[in-house]
Amino acid sequence: MNRSLRRLSLACLAMFALLLAWTNYLQVFRVNSLASEPGNVRIFNLQFKNQRGQIIAAGGRQQQVIAESKLIKGGIYQRFYPDPMAYAPITGYDSVLGNTSPFGVTGIEAAENKYLAGTSSNLTVYNLKGLFTGHSRQGASVYLTIDPKVQAAAYQALAAMGKPAAAVAINPSTGAILALASYPTFDPNKYATQDTGQLAKIDKAYRNDPTKPLDNRALNDTFPPGSTFKIITSSAGFGTGRVANQTATIPAPQFYHLPGSTHVLTNDGNAPCGDGHPQIILAFTLSCNTAFGKLGATLGGPTLVKYAQMFGFNNFGRGGNAPPLTIPLPVTPSVIPPGLKDPAFTANSAIGQFDDLVTPLQEAMMAATVANHGVLMRPYLVQEVRAPDQEVVQSTQPTQLARPITSQQASYLTAMMESVTHNPAGTAFFTAGPAATGGLDIAGKTGTAQNGPNNTGLNDAVFTCFAPASNPQIAVAVIVKGGGFGAAAAAPIAVKMIQAWGQH
Amino acid sequence: MSAVSRPLSDAVTPQGGLRPVSLPRGRRGSELAMLVFAIVIMAFAYAGVGFGLNGHLPSGLVTYVVGFGVLVLGAHLAVRWLAPYADPLLLPLAAVLNGLGIVMIYRLQESGRGNNPGAIIPTLTTHAAITQLLYTAVGIVAFVATLALIREPRVLQRYTYTLGTIGLILLAIPALLPASHSAINGAKAWIIFGGVQIEPGEFAKILLAVFFAGYLVSKRDVLSLAGRRVLGVDLPRGRDMGPVLVVWAFSLLVLVFESDIGTSALFFGLFLGMLYIATARTSWLLIGLLLFLFGAGVTQAIFAHVGERFTIWLHPFAHGNEYGSSFQLVQGLEGMAFGGIFGTGLGQGEPFHTPLVQSDFILTGFGEELGLTGMMALLLIFALLVQRGLRAAVAVRDPFAKLLAGGLAFVLALQVFIIVGGITQLIPLTGITTPFLSQGGSSLLASWVVIALIMRISDTARKPAPQPIQDEGLTQVVRAG
Repeated sequence: MNRSLRRLSLACLAMFALLLAWTNYLQVFRVNSLASEPGNVRIFNLQFKNQRGQIIAAGGRQQQVIAESKLIKGGIYQRFYPDPMAYAPITGYDSVLGNTSPFGVTGIEAAENKYLAGTSSNLTVYNLKGLFTGHSRQGASVYLTIDPKVQAAAYQALAAMGKPAAAVAINPSTGAILALASYPTFDPNKYATQDTGQLAKIDKAYRNDPTKPLDNRALNDTFPPGSTFKIITSSAGFGTGRVANQTATIPAPQFYHLPGSTHVLTNDGNAPCGDGHPQIILAFTLSCNTAFGKLGATLGGPTLVKYAQMFGFNNFGRGGNAPPLTIPLPVTPSVIPPGLKDPAFTANSAIGQFDDLVTPLQEAMMAATVANHGVLMRPYLVQEVRAPDQEVVQSTQPTQLARPITSQQASYLTAMMESVTHNPAGTAFFTAGPAATGGLDIAGKTGTAQNGPNNTGLNDAVFTCFAPASNPQIAVAVIVKGGGFGAAAAAPIAVKMIQAWGQH
Repeated sequence: MSAVSRPLSDAVTPQGGLRPVSLPRGRRGSELAMLVFAIVIMAFAYAGVGFGLNGHLPSGLVTYVVGFGVLVLGAHLAVRWLAPYADPLLLPLAAVLNGLGIVMIYRLQESGRGNNPGAIIPTLTTHAAITQLLYTAVGIVAFVATLALIREPRVLQRYTYTLGTIGLILLAIPALLPASHSAINGAKAWIIFGGVQIEPGEFAKILLAVFFAGYLVSKRDVLSLAGRRVLGVDLPRGRDMGPVLVVWAFSLLVLVFESDIGTSALFFGLFLGMLYIATARTSWLLIGLLLFLFGAGVTQAIFAHVGERFTIWLHPFAHGNEYGSSFQLVQGLEGMAFGGIFGTGLGQGEPFHTPLVQSDFILTGFGEELGLTGMMALLLIFALLVQRGLRAAVAVRDPFAKLLAGGLAFVLALQVFIIVGGITQLIPLTGITTPFLSQGGSSLLASWVVIALIMRISDTARKPAPQPIQDEGLTQVVRAG
């Protein structure tokens, strides 16, 4: 029987050899394919095991943590947003669905996910060190350019207004975004639940909410710019040499019969604009539609489009197929009809009506360009990323994005925008002038855009400005949907933000 | 070593042209050293669970390590007394498996409890590990009792038919009991009364091995010699097919009436393996394999629960199966893959996702937390255990003991193959316990009895040859060994 026993032991050996080989196959070669199974709960749960990095508003004197992961019961990490509503448009949310769903993670949480989750190749060295020192993988922290005081002022002012609105503040000389607020907004803490059923319910409720709280109005909603577009029309006038400087006169009839159209362009309240041949600074101060409509028609559609695109419209003229500007959140391009030619449409477009549409960020970029002597800096939100050992693994250097106007032309525009708030006849004298703001030296432009079918809707209020006019350090834009007059609804919010910034 | 140089050894060489049994020493010292090592492994693994779960030494470290240590050292002392020449490797191998099983059950029981990470496994109570330690005590008592009661393997041969009948009855009881007293998780393989659950198949396995050994020893000549040669294969006579068909039919009955594919396959495999050892006829294996495939094919076509096993095996991720019928298999596979080569570390994986991971799927827990490395180590321990069992079979003279040891070793290998192959998707999954590791008293008790029987046979094989009694230099009387 020993011969058969030996053969049987060979069979046993073969069985064990097969098991060993098969286990190797399973635990080495099938690791990736099993890990990528959509239902793999262990891979899904990995997100709770490593501490995700913080998001910190670090653009002011005092830093504020706006997103952090804390250990909760059961030894897992959960995301917390200490000041959820004010910062929701910036942080976005990080839900348990993470990258597995197109809506699983948004905002900075999505844009900087690799750093926050600690999976970026820039963190490899740090994570390797962890293998030896025994710490588990930890995400890097993202330091934002946001100034907590300005952000708080912006959100509180928007919330007090209670209408769909957004506000953006930029440091004009660097492009660093100091505030970015949107209203109504949402509570990202609700998305941090571990319960996927609860998550689906909350998400559905927010998506079905008619006030659209998930929309980031500062970056992804567009509004008619109204009279603030006159900054661009003026720039085109200076740039083409059609208008020599801010004291040059331009024609401004009381009623401007649009060429090739029965439509008549008027000023607010059908008022005349000076003597009919005002200096451009006066027409700008009073925000005469006829003066800038006629100037636009004279310059021609293509010229107007060219200048608007230099400021960033139509994705800097690259159109919708090119990658949009990212800060690193994607920014919806502002629009001016690229084939603009018809003089009547061009005249309307020159005063920010017709089909012109801007994002609040675009408005702020316009003011910032004037403030920064004609140079448009690339707007950015992330100052730097630091590994858990505080080593800086990535930092943003300010870069020039465009130069639509010369320094000289920028000084003309500065004078014009200063006049809007300083001249007692200026549209923003009573809301953003020195007397109204306790001596703030603001230069700005109001806009009151008609909208809705046949312009029956409530006007959108727009205000874009910078301060101090003599030495600009902050550019602010505010748009309030259905707010009425820009000077009345939007300018006070901008003033509160500048005041908050000035408290440093 | 040639027979010429060692005439005395040659005299005790069993028939079959075996090597002489060298070094007939007990080597109990080696056994003790290895046992201490097994206890140390268990202690470190237990401590590792605590550190992995919550960064602290687990409570009850002393209780578990001392309790386990006392038990296995007690077994060692019993072996010194009852089977001093037995293979020294068997006890430490069994002990290290048993110890790691307790550790894993403790780890699973602690999951989600207190401040530990993970989810609570609802099928595990807070005293599962201590119960397993208690079962270990019962198992080791049974181990010692087996060694004490059965001083000679041949004693069992006398009860061939008695034990065989008891085995068959044990196997049949669950089929006759109402489901409320016999079914757990779909398998009608239990005897349940007043909170006590016994899996009679585990014991029937041993009794039937004894029965097969006794039966085959008496019938092996006719089974291995009679018959015709057809196409190079020695076919047995038709009338000798009887016993094979009976066992085959019986295993099919188990399959159909108890929904217990694993046990059914195990019995048929055990019988075939022993039949082959006894007869050395490949034709029996071929016939058996054909019968098995035929039976499996027919039952999977007729009985949904058998057919489903094939679907799960072939398409675990198809049509949402991973959330339904193949959930357990998929969780096990994903867990083992998650562990990768080195594993997450004890207490740091998520084995609790796998339903009933403490039972049939316990090796997926090891695979996840100890990785491929741990899996290979455990498989090698099982392989060594099987190899030492077969070695005892080869070494022993008595044909009955030879068959019994060979059968027990083979059924151990088969059981490991069926369960590990099942949980790793190598073969269709059938519910069957992992010897020494899975939670449960029946399995542990039976496993210890198997080790005791193999050690008894090993002891018999390695016992020094009886010394000739010198009677004033005139006559030599050799006591039969």
